[in-house]
Amino acid sequence: MSIDVPAGALPSRKFGLTVVYLLSTVAAMSLLFWYLGVSPSSFWVDSRFIVDLFQQMFPPNFALFWTKSSLFISLIETLSMAFLATICGGLIALFLAFFAATNTTPHPLIRLAVRTLLVMNRSVPHLIIILVLLIAVGIGPFAGALTLIFASVGMYGKFFADSIEQADKGTLESVQSLGSTRLQTIRYAVLPQVMPSFVANLFYAFDHNLRAAIPLGVFGGGGIGFELAFAHGLLHYKDVMAYTILIVLMITGMERISDWARRSIITQPQLITK
Amino acid sequence: MLRVSNIVVKLPDGKRLVNDVSFTVGRGEFVAILGSSGAGKSLTLRCIVGLTRPSEGEIALMGPSGKSYRTTDVKAQELRRARRHIGLIFQGSNLVKRLTVLENVMLGRLGHINPLRSWLLGFKDAEAREAMVALDRVNMTSCAARLAGSLSGGEMQRVSIARAIHQRPLIYLADEPISSLDPKNAEAIMAILQPLSRETPVIGAFHQPMVVAKYCTRAIGIRSGKIVYDGPAQISARQLEHIYGDSESESYLPVRPSGAQPPFYGSNLQPVLHEGATV
Amino acid sequence: MASPSMTPFRQELPFLEWKRGIAGQRLKQAAIAGVLLVLVALTAWRCEVHMKTFVLGIDKGLPLVGMFFPPEWSGMVGMLQPLGVTTVMAMAATILGMCLSLPCALAASSNLAPPPLRLMMRAFIALERGLPEIVQMLLLIAIFGLGPIPGLVALSFSSIGMLAKLLADAIEEIEPHMLEAVAGTGATRSQVIRYAVIPQILPALFANGLFRFEFNVRAGVILGAVGAGGIGYIMSTAMNSMDYQRACMATLLTLALVFITERVSDFFRGRILAGGLLR
Repeated sequence: MSIDVPAGALPSRKFGLTVVYLLSTVAAMSLLFWYLGVSPSSFWVDSRFIVDLFQQMFPPNFALFWTKSSLFISLIETLSMAFLATICGGLIALFLAFFAATNTTPHPLIRLAVRTLLVMNRSVPHLIIILVLLIAVGIGPFAGALTLIFASVGMYGKFFADSIEQADKGTLESVQSLGSTRLQTIRYAVLPQVMPSFVANLFYAFDHNLRAAIPLGVFGGGGIGFELAFAHGLLHYKDVMAYTILIVLMITGMERISDWARRSIITQPQLITK
Repeated sequence: MLRVSNIVVKLPDGKRLVNDVSFTVGRGEFVAILGSSGAGKSLTLRCIVGLTRPSEGEIALMGPSGKSYRTTDVKAQELRRARRHIGLIFQGSNLVKRLTVLENVMLGRLGHINPLRSWLLGFKDAEAREAMVALDRVNMTSCAARLAGSLSGGEMQRVSIARAIHQRPLIYLADEPISSLDPKNAEAIMAILQPLSRETPVIGAFHQPMVVAKYCTRAIGIRSGKIVYDGPAQISARQLEHIYGDSESESYLPVRPSGAQPPFYGSNLQPVLHEGATV
Repeated sequence: MASPSMTPFRQELPFLEWKRGIAGQRLKQAAIAGVLLVLVALTAWRCEVHMKTFVLGIDKGLPLVGMFFPPEWSGMVGMLQPLGVTTVMAMAATILGMCLSLPCALAASSNLAPPPLRLMMRAFIALERGLPEIVQMLLLIAIFGLGPIPGLVALSFSSIGMLAKLLADAIEEIEPHMLEAVAGTGATRSQVIRYAVIPQILPALFANGLFRFEFNVRAGVILGAVGAGGIGYIMSTAMNSMDYQRACMATLLTLALVFITERVSDFFRGRILAGGLLR
């Protein structure tokens, strides 16, 4: 005995749909590759060339780690750029966020203005910012740090504004009913609720800024990215490999540390929420 | 037919969680395993299906053609083959929430389908029609195309029974199938399992002696890993207390004031509350 | 208001304790704030932050930004093709990343993969995530030369890393009962993956993929300036040749692209997470 299967649930029909999805994905990929001018032959590289390149790159020039003292200074520079940008950018973003949230803004027009500012800030590509700043303040980590601050404000301003808007209305109203000023309301009702996510986002922002600091360094923003690009320009591939390994270690290491730090702060919420 | 022989599950420190459990389940039986939490009910069931490896003992399933499948001391492939013939029904919702109800039922026969065919072609239409028959037995055909995640608890449990039915096993194994359901849904599930048990034996762990008395043919009481009762499902209160009694495992029944005689649960189908009851 | 000497001593105790507790906490907070302040000062010194440079910078920067306007509208049409190259590069890298991250994630989850494979895979994923795209780009230029190919490979590699990590975390969050139930029918591990794991993580795959696409577009612009071509290349060459109005046009186009990408991605991600769009 068999009962009719509803037409939409028939396995053969579903199989047909899956095949269509897969084929269209393959077709789309082929189209994209064709547009880019990529063909299988583009990936074919002469094996002798690869071997030669390999010999040029390995073994990495680890000797740099103790001969070149400026190397670790560059590392600290990159870390500093990320740290500074996270703290300053985060604080500025938080400050602006209060103007961009419906429940804490003094006037809806201000809110609109700040929101638009944040959106524009977010969308402007970092490339143009660093290029302009390089001309304005010169080559070096200052330009890099300013770019990151600029970028962080845009990215996290929206985030913080959203989380401020999600603050519990009841708490807000009860504090307001005591006759407190707007500033006091913010300090006692909104801030404690927003702080945990603010601090957590600071850690994520640090990870993100650390990775972003490297391309900025390549363009002249200082730090280890700068060293890497310099060595690359000189075709010193062994140095490049050494720097690469250093960068990977730094990023992976800092991610672990910030993860640990974030977790240990989360377990002590009273520290943040006052 | 299921034969469980001398199962022992030992902890590394020597303590026996299941101590020399043996029983046989044959055609037409609806067996309920009763016992307090930690007494060894679920462990025994898990040993039967191979999720836990017993320290000693043997479990074997015998098919009508005389073939026997062991679930103890076997390699992974043989265990998989044995599992094909055991229909599992769990306590919570164990359906794949993002698949449709019909697809979930069809999962029952996965043990019989070649993995390569699964990946390349999926299920066949004929299997879908068979699955609809199984759904019909649990009255869920109207939900066949819905996502499993959108169903209620009772509906999900019915679908998992349909999945087990679609599997066409030699025995059904239920681990507290009605514990997370309200009484109405629980009765509905038992009303499905009872006729099922007449064709294929059902063995399940239950916490509800009244329901067991109404629907099952046989009850096995386990206490501290040992079988202390094996007989008709209508258990007297004194025997119940013996099964659930205050041993190392926590007492399930409420504490009675001394001298008061609790009613006979088998004949009285309403849960009775008396002084001192905390249920 | 009663003076403190009139309140009984016992009632004052909790208040004093609270005061002491708060004092301890305030001290900790002050310490953290102090450390942060010192760090900020140190890092600012390290980054060569000087008020003088800043003020001079504004002096230089504002007229510079003024030179950006009006943008070179006539160049817009010619820039559409490079814009397309950047977009397509990001798209292709995202799709490749989504496809290849799935097997990586399966091999990196604790509930599916044996520990040695899992550890290796997790290390590989950490490498893919730890290598910034620009560093990969510089290395790949040495192999493939200039053009979108090294950019595509670099973006794909990083995409695989990020997506695989997110997917592996999602896989590890699947309720084990779901997997046990499917395995209980006698299914092989690959069938469990096909029918229990993949349907559950498909929404996560697409939502994360869309998120990654936004990132790939921005990264594609930067990689373009280093040699991958596209709109990033136009932007950097215009700046280098001091053709600021052209650079402004390129920036406006990029802005539009990023904005549209974000809207599209938000829209589809909202639909996916609401549970509607997929299958």
